[in-house]
Amino acid sequence: MPTPQQMGRGDKMGRGPYEKSGFLADSSLPPLRTVKQEFMIPVYKETKKDGKVERAILANDFTVDVELWYLPYGKKDDPGNAQKWFSVSKELTIAKGGK
Amino acid sequence: MGKRKTILAWAAVTLLLNVTAALAVADGGGAASKAATGGAKPVATAVKADEGTDQAKAGAAGEAKAKTIAELAARYDSSSCKECHEGIHAEWEKSLHARSIFGDDEVGRTAATFKTTIENGLKEWPYSGVKKPEDVQVKHLMICAKCHLPQLQEAEDSVAQEIVKDIYAYAADPNNDKAKEALESLNIGCLVCHNRNAITHKWTDGFPEKDVVYGTKDGDHEDQAHPHMKTSKIMKESILCGQCHGQGPNFDMENPTQCATLYASYLMTYIPEGGQNTCQECHMEKSKLGHNIQSYRAPEMAKMAVDVDVEAKAFQWRDGAVTTPVAKVSVALTNKAGHGIPDG
Repeated sequence: MPTPQQMGRGDKMGRGPYEKSGFLADSSLPPLRTVKQEFMIPVYKETKKDGKVERAILANDFTVDVELWYLPYGKKDDPGNAQKWFSVSKELTIAKGGK
Repeated sequence: MGKRKTILAWAAVTLLLNVTAALAVADGGGAASKAATGGAKPVATAVKADEGTDQAKAGAAGEAKAKTIAELAARYDSSSCKECHEGIHAEWEKSLHARSIFGDDEVGRTAATFKTTIENGLKEWPYSGVKKPEDVQVKHLMICAKCHLPQLQEAEDSVAQEIVKDIYAYAADPNNDKAKEALESLNIGCLVCHNRNAITHKWTDGFPEKDVVYGTKDGDHEDQAHPHMKTSKIMKESILCGQCHGQGPNFDMENPTQCATLYASYLMTYIPEGGQNTCQECHMEKSKLGHNIQSYRAPEMAKMAVDVDVEAKAFQWRDGAVTTPVAKVSVALTNKAGHGIPDG
């Protein structure tokens, strides 16, 4: 998202449109380009036993839901404004056993 | 078979598209032109540059400034357009252009933002001249109205005062239908795009004439108030929309603001990437939405805007004696729009 600069000076973000004059940063999707993002999702619960880290798998079969939201006011619980543009579910499996 | 789990991976994607301010109303405009019934006729006389400047200040109509909301609304009333262009008018009524001061139907978010601008902006700025809502003049509201109601420039400060009163009245009582109706009577109607804003280069192409509807044809127009039809050289060009869906800070103002930067994004990023479409081609034609010009809320536009490709794989990796089960999800987002998404 664009981070609008307050009054075009300094490091503060402008809140309302009346304050916005410039960008501090902009992570919006540029036109006609592809942006890639990777997510590494832990599928374990971590514990320590005798000083050693153990990671116990939560499930061997699970579903990952990917959703793309447009949140004009920054929150999903915003009927009429927040828009879910895309969603897909991926069924994944991690093999049991082995070392 | 192990226990099934559902893991949501939306968080980071969501952050990518979070925005903190309302998008401006969608691109484009209303409708008023009618099919030519005859050949093109020369209409009105050229306006001298100095007259034009005055005309621009007093309004495309060249009339005295409006003193009330009702007067200003009447000047830009599009109900007569509806008689012949019913379908197009019905499309427009669904758009945010039809409620550019009030905002979304029930919520009135745009009106609320006007109030915030007065309370958190104008009243707090030491040199604005505004200490209380009653001090607000046209020039103050123009930081929003430049796009949300450009014809306000053709009104006296009494209209600004009436607007402010209605905004505060509605904020105090959302059941105040009178205030809501008054605010909704002001909008980006047919005549804003098809007359007032139909000519950007006035020294080159002349000033908008009161009795003309500008579109894509020359000829007669069956309307008493607008008996002529003329071609606007920008009616199908992005610059028409760019007048409001902006380039960044409006430096012509004493306190510049930047509600929209879409047109800058279009010019500086979409075109250099080889983009060919105009705003109208995507938002009106390809979307098949016509004058119901929409942006992120419309499924048609969302579908056109971004391609999403998702690949996912689960595996375990080992670091010494520790085995770590993970899911790796790769998301590729391709923005097919003519501007960055989101705007801000």
